[in-house]
Amino acid sequence: MSGPALVRLAGVTKDYPKLATDADRLRTLVSLLVGRGERPHFRALEDIGLEVRAGESVGLIGENGAGKSTLLKIIAGVVRPTRGTVEVQGRVSALLELGSGFHPDYTGRENIFLSSAVMGLSRREARSKVDAIIEFADIGSHIDEPIKHYSSGMVVRLGFAVATALRPELLITDEVLAVGDESFQKKCVQWLQGYLDGGGTLLLCSHSMYHVQTLCRKTLWVHHGRARAFGESFDVTREYLTYHEEKRRSDAKPAAAVPGNMPRIESAWIEDATGARRATFRQGESLVVQGVAFEPDGRSPVVLFGIVRADGTPVYGSPSSEAGFVPAAAGDRRFAFAVRFDSLALLPGKYTLRLHALDPEGLRLFDTVENEFVVTGETRDFGLVRMQHAWTQGRAR
Amino acid sequence: MSAQRSQTLFGHRWLLYELTRREIFSRYAGSAGGLAWTVLQPLAQLAIFAFVFSQVFRATVPPAYTGVTYTGFVAVALWPWIMFSESVQRGMAAVAANAGLIRKVALPCELFVYASVIACYAIHLAGFAGVLVVLRLTGENIRLEGVPVALLLMVPYVLLATGVSLALGSLHTIVRDVEHGTGLVLTIVFYATPILYPITFVPEAWRGLVMANPVAHLSERLREVLLTGPSLTGSDLLVTLACAAVFAAGLWTFRRLSPYFEDFL
Repeated sequence: MSGPALVRLAGVTKDYPKLATDADRLRTLVSLLVGRGERPHFRALEDIGLEVRAGESVGLIGENGAGKSTLLKIIAGVVRPTRGTVEVQGRVSALLELGSGFHPDYTGRENIFLSSAVMGLSRREARSKVDAIIEFADIGSHIDEPIKHYSSGMVVRLGFAVATALRPELLITDEVLAVGDESFQKKCVQWLQGYLDGGGTLLLCSHSMYHVQTLCRKTLWVHHGRARAFGESFDVTREYLTYHEEKRRSDAKPAAAVPGNMPRIESAWIEDATGARRATFRQGESLVVQGVAFEPDGRSPVVLFGIVRADGTPVYGSPSSEAGFVPAAAGDRRFAFAVRFDSLALLPGKYTLRLHALDPEGLRLFDTVENEFVVTGETRDFGLVRMQHAWTQGRAR
Repeated sequence: MSAQRSQTLFGHRWLLYELTRREIFSRYAGSAGGLAWTVLQPLAQLAIFAFVFSQVFRATVPPAYTGVTYTGFVAVALWPWIMFSESVQRGMAAVAANAGLIRKVALPCELFVYASVIACYAIHLAGFAGVLVVLRLTGENIRLEGVPVALLLMVPYVLLATGVSLALGSLHTIVRDVEHGTGLVLTIVFYATPILYPITFVPEAWRGLVMANPVAHLSERLREVLLTGPSLTGSDLLVTLACAAVFAAGLWTFRRLSPYFEDFL
């Protein structure tokens, strides 16, 4: 599956000069020319190592300002690291941030030629690709207007279209999917999947965990300029989301200290039949959801669970009132409940279990708590769940 | 150093072509006159100089140049100067002007400087050729056989312009004062160069200093070649070497600083 290393980073560190004053500028200029001397700087990246092999897809996640874009720029060759080694092989196409490497004063069509020339294509070679690019971008007559008059979505459309036509060996994209509209995003994700199936290599930076999970097998989490985690996309994104969850919780503590006068799910977790907390289940195993709900008036709330696949497709959901279940009081306006799924029928994949707290009448929905889990197994079944069925000999008529 | 940055100039020939082409066509995009302005501007400049110096100051053409009016005398040195000064100004600003691209795409930044310089020379060489033809038709003694040698003399001139552009451009990217200083220095150099006057008008004591400037030498020589016939001297070789050295120094400075451009743009 994976071939030779296309990208190899070792000990990559990037310092940006601090240019607050004119004196800083001059001092930096002199030290650059003579090749030594102290330069006022701040550190954007520190000691990053990464290897991407041909055919791999690697996601890059992290908070705003963590250094993701700088890292991508270093790999794309736009920025030279202060320290460390960067080896990049093959034809690289990079869609870095908005603008995607287009010249704002050039028209869309001129930018196509420019981007092609950057990739080393002659004008004649580029001309043979222009029509396909314009068709993919689908921005109509705007193609002959300067890029600076484009909406950000249109720029990304064109950038993506150019990347698709140039068929790079390594494609670097920095948060470009987020800008396109729904149908264009779908088109892009589809194209990316085809590109990856065809042996392409992808480095995707995104804040959409869904895109990272669906498109990337491995993920690097950059935190304050350092590599915080690297591994299977699902593990890393979950860790990352947990981090945010915790951060939000600690940020929101003062507000949450006042108990809201609304029903909510106070805690929820997923465990197996023996009561051990787990996030991975084999198909057919038993899965138990445990939770504690809070109801300000001390009346039993209605709880609703829902299971959605990682891509957002709803699988099944049901309120506790439907089964006539009433959560029992567990002291101080709290109510414990559990939902048990014997012989899990879900097909292998990633799922999210959502729990919602409703008022005792089951009319208003107040809170959502999500837990992710994975179902593993080897099967050629497709769809969402395994339905009970039996094959039998048929009759001719 | 990543793989992209170190690609050769040859590997980027299509990009250079694309940038130059765009540089030429965008020059007067949005203006009705289009490329005509590129000729009109120097023509107007020439007309002003010709009027002020030959009519007001009563400047005369030295006897060595026979069959030439003051207009022809100035034109053959003025046009190459315009190419030089304009390409320095544009080449110097090229990196900053293309910041959007440099920050997003891995390509050698030198290309932007080269494209600017080449575009300037391409446009004004065409204009210059037209002006020479017109002067000749109006009876000025332009020696057509001098044109090939004049083109040869343009080579060190271009090297000089490129070297200065590279050096100033890389400094300008980091310290923006350079742009303002350059305009001033170019004006001084223009009047310190025998373009509006022959070198023989300069007091003997100053002549050595004035001619130490390669632009002065090249202006004088271009005039000689175009107005009195082709010739090559040993000092031409010397000036060529000096211009090549300036180019090398400019390229060294540029390559030294270009990895850091992104930090400043």
